[in-house]
Amino acid sequence: MLILRLAWRNLFRNIRRTVLTCMLIASSLLTIILMDGVMLGMIDVMIGSLTHTLEGEAQINSRGFRDDFEPSIRINNYREIQNELVHDPVVRGASARIIVGAMIASSYNSAGALVYGVDAASEKDVSKIEEAVYAGHFLSGQEREILLGRPMAELLEVELGDRLVLTSSTVDSKEIVQELFRLSGLFEFGPETLDENLIFINLDKAQSLFELTGAAHQIAIRFNRPEMANDPTLNIYKSFNNDQTEANGWLALQPTMGAMLEMTGYSTLIVGGILFLLASLGIINSMFMSIYERIYEFGVIKSVGTRPAEIIKLILTEAFFLALISCFFGIILGYFVSSYFSTNGIPMGRMEMSGIVLDGNMNTILEPYQFINFPIYVTLLTLIAAIYPALFASKIVPTEALQKAL
Amino acid sequence: MIPLINTVALSRFFGTGEAMVKALDEVSLSIEPGEFTAIVGPSGSGKSTLLHLIGGLDKPDSGTVALNGTNIADMSGNKLSDFRRDNIGFVFQAYNLIPVLSAAENIEYIMLLQGITAVKRRIRVKEMLDIVGLAGMENRRPAQLSGGQQQRVAVARAMASNPSIILADEPTANLDSKTGISLLNVMKDLNQNRNMTFVFSTHDQKIIERARRLVYLRDGKIEKEETQ
Repeated sequence: MLILRLAWRNLFRNIRRTVLTCMLIASSLLTIILMDGVMLGMIDVMIGSLTHTLEGEAQINSRGFRDDFEPSIRINNYREIQNELVHDPVVRGASARIIVGAMIASSYNSAGALVYGVDAASEKDVSKIEEAVYAGHFLSGQEREILLGRPMAELLEVELGDRLVLTSSTVDSKEIVQELFRLSGLFEFGPETLDENLIFINLDKAQSLFELTGAAHQIAIRFNRPEMANDPTLNIYKSFNNDQTEANGWLALQPTMGAMLEMTGYSTLIVGGILFLLASLGIINSMFMSIYERIYEFGVIKSVGTRPAEIIKLILTEAFFLALISCFFGIILGYFVSSYFSTNGIPMGRMEMSGIVLDGNMNTILEPYQFINFPIYVTLLTLIAAIYPALFASKIVPTEALQKAL
Repeated sequence: MIPLINTVALSRFFGTGEAMVKALDEVSLSIEPGEFTAIVGPSGSGKSTLLHLIGGLDKPDSGTVALNGTNIADMSGNKLSDFRRDNIGFVFQAYNLIPVLSAAENIEYIMLLQGITAVKRRIRVKEMLDIVGLAGMENRRPAQLSGGQQQRVAVARAMASNPSIILADEPTANLDSKTGISLLNVMKDLNQNRNMTFVFSTHDQKIIERARRLVYLRDGKIEKEETQ
């Protein structure tokens, strides 16, 4: 107990230095908590942008379809599967799609496009197509409705209500088909690849146009809890990975996203490491200052028989208390600052990264581990940083120390 | 009978080559239990160096220093720390109490190192403070004590481990005359009534007058010895 009292009181011998060191450690903790919150927020936005825009959190595709989007590879019992999915308690929504390449032409121009036949009602639960419509209206089931992205509409020089002709071939008989549509809505997801290349029509129209009645290529799925999307133990992954279909979460569908997330984790680790390294130098400096100020005292306590190991213990105990105080304030500060940005968000402007659009405010995410694990890391790091000064103090030669202060 | 302290041809040099200073040059000295001895000499004569070597704070370049027959010149690390803790008490010129600990805690500290139980420590702290005339001041921090009172706490701390000998390096140098005499009286009492052995390094006339044996050092050699 006396050693604890001595260590505790030693901290307050130079309050200014202790406060400054505490501020250094606490601000490092605050920064790492905030940075992790920002990273989680960014990941959340990125995943949200990726999965909720169009792809869905998971997909069931006819096996082999995703390899080259061959339209003849289809799911013939999609209604059955969709029905099973909507009754699964973990699934929030499931929407069937037809995906076929086509040429779209206006009176002025023509362009290649990927036609998505979607079910207007179920698609609302899965994607943001409806939200992306900025002019006109979303699909309502009317036969000749068609949605274009802004750049494609500009290319075709069309406005709402203008006529468009879709040309493609039927899936099985390979006969050329043409169909007239009227532009009912313009959408803008953000990523140019989507806005320039996709067009949306009603599912039943697509089925009849491409002779895919009763079939679909893809069923996009959204879960009640997005974090479940990559859980391989889910029923849908067990039931629908078979000879006919393949079911995958977004991480398997977008492996580059997984690599990006991993990179984000590493960058947090690197920045955190650099931050802690700088903080360590500050701690080492502070501990050395404290030791130099008391060098005569160390000479005295060594003279009266204090073992080197006991001096190390004393310095490390001081460092431990320093870390505890710092973490206390760091946790409080970290909580309030991170909570503020969690509520109000950090203005990000609008930017596109690897086809993912980050738009508007990004809200930080608070997790319990940030307030448990990070303070433990900071405390351990403070103790590690104090080892060198402690070893130095333990090796002080009493006669030299006694001469220095006189 | 084995002397309490026995140094044989003890030498300590500082620096090298032409700049080498012989702080102690083959000093042989024996001190018996219960002595009240002052090592006297001008500044630079080697008093403090001799005291540090006797106390195991420094290592001789040659010669031996034995305490109760144990050669401490060969000891190092924990063994030397433990030997100092259990056998030698130090009183320094500048008191050197730990400023964040109270008078009682300063005295208790060394007993804590010895692994004495809390109850026994408290009893002994009270006893030590009574002996040095500071009863009731146990909770005061060094800054709340006068120089003389701090040096009394330092004496109590030196006695707390029940050492064979107390080495006092210029203990009255920072005290006024009256306070210095008062402190010396405490030490003299301990010497006479408890047979505590004291060795001083000093050029303070008050100590010289009270010491029973005077060892005069000059240029690192014993110039003469007197017994009073």
